[in-house]
Amino acid sequence: MINKKKQNKVFSFSLPNFSLLHWLSAIFLALYSIILTLSPSVRARSWNADYIYAHWTGFFLWLFLTAITEKYLNKNLPDRDPYIFTIAALLSGWGLLSIWRLTPLFGIRQTIWLAVSMGALMIGTKWDKLLPTLRRYKYILLISGLILTSLTLIFGANPLGIGPRLWLGFGGVYLQPSEPLKLLLVIYLSAYLANKPIQDQQIFPFILPTLFLASIALLLLLVQRDLGAASIFIMLYASILYLAIARKRVLFINASILLAVALFGYFFIDIIHTRLSIWISPWGDPSGRGYQIIQSLMAIANGGLWGRGIGIGSPAFVPVAHSDFIFTSLAEETGLAGTLGLFALLGIFLSRGLRIALRAPSRYLRLLAAGLTMYLGIQSLLIIGGNLRLLPLTGVTLPFISYGGSSLLTSFIALLLLLKISNENEEAAPLPKPQPYHLLSALLMLGLVLSAIINGWWAILRGPDLLTRSDNPRRTLADLYVPRGNILDRNNKPIVITKGTSGELSREYLYPNLSPVTGYTNSIYGQAGIEFALDEYLRGLAGNPTSTIWWNQLLYGQPPSGLDLRLSIDIDLQEDVDQRLSKHKGAVVLINAQSGEILVMSSHPTFDANQLDETVLNDENSPLINRATQGQYPISITETSLFFKTSEIRTIIRIPVEDGSPIEMAIAASALSNAGLAPAPRLALAVNTPQSEWVILPALGEETQLFTQSETDSFLKNFTTDNGAYWHFLVADEKENITWLLAGTTKNWQGAPLGLVILLEENNAGLAEEIAKSLLSN
Amino acid sequence: MSGPFLLTLRFGMTLSLYLFIGWAFLFLWRSFKTESELLASRKTPPLSLIYIDHKEKKKIKHFTVPEINIGRDPHSDIYLENDTVSAHHAQLIYHHGQWWLEDLNSTNGTTLNNEDVKTPTIVISNDEIYCGKVPLKIHLTIGDLSPNTQKV
Repeated sequence: MINKKKQNKVFSFSLPNFSLLHWLSAIFLALYSIILTLSPSVRARSWNADYIYAHWTGFFLWLFLTAITEKYLNKNLPDRDPYIFTIAALLSGWGLLSIWRLTPLFGIRQTIWLAVSMGALMIGTKWDKLLPTLRRYKYILLISGLILTSLTLIFGANPLGIGPRLWLGFGGVYLQPSEPLKLLLVIYLSAYLANKPIQDQQIFPFILPTLFLASIALLLLLVQRDLGAASIFIMLYASILYLAIARKRVLFINASILLAVALFGYFFIDIIHTRLSIWISPWGDPSGRGYQIIQSLMAIANGGLWGRGIGIGSPAFVPVAHSDFIFTSLAEETGLAGTLGLFALLGIFLSRGLRIALRAPSRYLRLLAAGLTMYLGIQSLLIIGGNLRLLPLTGVTLPFISYGGSSLLTSFIALLLLLKISNENEEAAPLPKPQPYHLLSALLMLGLVLSAIINGWWAILRGPDLLTRSDNPRRTLADLYVPRGNILDRNNKPIVITKGTSGELSREYLYPNLSPVTGYTNSIYGQAGIEFALDEYLRGLAGNPTSTIWWNQLLYGQPPSGLDLRLSIDIDLQEDVDQRLSKHKGAVVLINAQSGEILVMSSHPTFDANQLDETVLNDENSPLINRATQGQYPISITETSLFFKTSEIRTIIRIPVEDGSPIEMAIAASALSNAGLAPAPRLALAVNTPQSEWVILPALGEETQLFTQSETDSFLKNFTTDNGAYWHFLVADEKENITWLLAGTTKNWQGAPLGLVILLEENNAGLAEEIAKSLLSN
Repeated sequence: MSGPFLLTLRFGMTLSLYLFIGWAFLFLWRSFKTESELLASRKTPPLSLIYIDHKEKKKIKHFTVPEINIGRDPHSDIYLENDTVSAHHAQLIYHHGQWWLEDLNSTNGTTLNNEDVKTPTIVISNDEIYCGKVPLKIHLTIGDLSPNTQKV
């Protein structure tokens, strides 16, 4: 009983202190957690799924910590700025849950670090003399920061085992000294520059010590190859110096130094060259150096306006999504709507920070508050801009949100200092030159607005282009969950089917000999053939009602079920031809000369699309090539060639080129069988749409009158064989090692007229005649 | 059904984010309003100037505005038709809880209790000002000062 009473008391005691804004951020994060818990049911499209619960640890600890901390702040800093802690708490909660969503192991660590950071904040609020102490020990602080950073040169480690060694490890805990170093620089600069009033003539000797220490720090970071920290350092130094002495030339000199370093680096330093050239043109090397940024842009595009939903997107496709690219994963799962909210939160936070600076009672505190705000603002914009390809990529964290203990703790200490400065309730110190505050606040806001515009550009305007790229891994993922349309022959016999259950769907090629025609769809080797050409239908992105596609994208981030496709191929005839060709190299095309429907299209050697591997890809016989459509063979070859010898026929066939593909010749043969009218060829006949059953697909090209009736009559007279059932002419050339056979039906034929072409990459008239006979004489 | 249900939750989540932002903006607007009303409620302590105008008449003018211009320009708050007075001669401004006298680079200068006014100087009741050769006497009602010295 006593225990219960006690709990009640604590609860009722903390409730009134929990402000409305805190309740709203708690609701936001609670909804985030609920969605994440339920998200597997969306992928599985049923309530029967493995739900995720681990992240609730993070949520409840966040709730507890923020409630306690707010109580502490109300007690110890009653006159503080009321917004910045609330916003920082929301951002860190959002980041924490995103990290849980990406990697639960990192989520546990980040939760511990959040507890440490909030603990530091609470202890700090009780330390009354903190701000003057920092001022007094500015040199000791900065120099110990430099020593700690330089230790990484000797004892440096990387928690991942690879990459730059920027961390110091003590028994499993890793600390990145360059994070607190930025904060120490801000403290040192504001303490030093606030000390003396500036006399115009003595600026340079006055700032010389700061220049010296900042250069040492910068060199250290450059030796470590920590480009992100180095660029933040240069910009921070310039900002605080500009705030202190109010000379625009500081900014110009800084900008020209940055530009000079960038230019020098572009030509002489490998890592800078790489970063800049990826930034300028990532598209040239999408699987290599441009991989990360292109994956990032695709993730942002996949988020679109409303986002894919928590746990439903695939942000883990972007390398280091939990740290440098956390903005990308927020953008993918909460969409432009979420990131615009993020920009608004950052905007409020930064403007409050600068307001705290303006209200500060002394020059030191004003410079400190403005410097801390610039630190958080510059770092946020640098990494958001990097993720959006607005700026070159530098590996820094997003304050409060990214994974990383040092980063989180440093951000919270900056927050603590801002809160303490805002709590000083003396009158604001005079501000002789307000221009630096105008300009720097304008720059920060401009950065946020630009980021929002660029984010919209990638997410909305360029989104569709990015998502249909073949290196978008989400397409392969969708193939596991969304059934792809089957491919059927003209009599609805299945040729290619999708089998398995949702989550484990796979493609099966029931008639492997047709693989050069059907092609393949493969997570490693991409797509080819019909699978490639009619991917939109098979994937359900075409043929379905637009509203269905839109609704499926909104609900699941995936297209609706694919549509079945009917080919003009007659699988029985095809099988017969494939058996006859077997090991011979060549191609056979049989066309319905009237409708243009391709009944047989055979290309040998074939491959098995079920077993695609490097040996097939590197086979010197090129089985992947569809010889019927892609092969180019000489038409007029030797003296013995019929095409050549009979000039009459050459003019009749009217093919001006030297080489032709079997399909082109098959169309010419069809024209001869069809009173001179060449049909437009068709391979894909129809697609089975949900609302109007089988819809006929258009033919490839147009009908053309190749010959007149009399021309075909005089031609066929010379070449009709087999009791007049069909005509054919044959060229078998020993020197070129090639056999051409053109054939077709005559008027005596009872069914639809046919056109046939047989090409063999060998001198084998017998085989060609045998195939022609089997196809045309019954 | 899981899809539509989660879609509702997703919209709810985005909505709560925007409610947070909306509420923050509402608070910002409210504090802006409170601050501006606080500023508006600040009153300038009334100030009276006693001087002799160009018709050799003794005049008393009362002011409740925080800024008073003195000069030969007819639009001036205190219009002095005298050759020793510049068009925009001097200014009395109320800020930081005090009235300040400032000379506006006048030709013949301004004096306060026979001392040249070079930088803005605080004036008190019964101070004597000379703009060129024209004397002005200040009278302040001190009791009204108290609300302005409070820190906001």
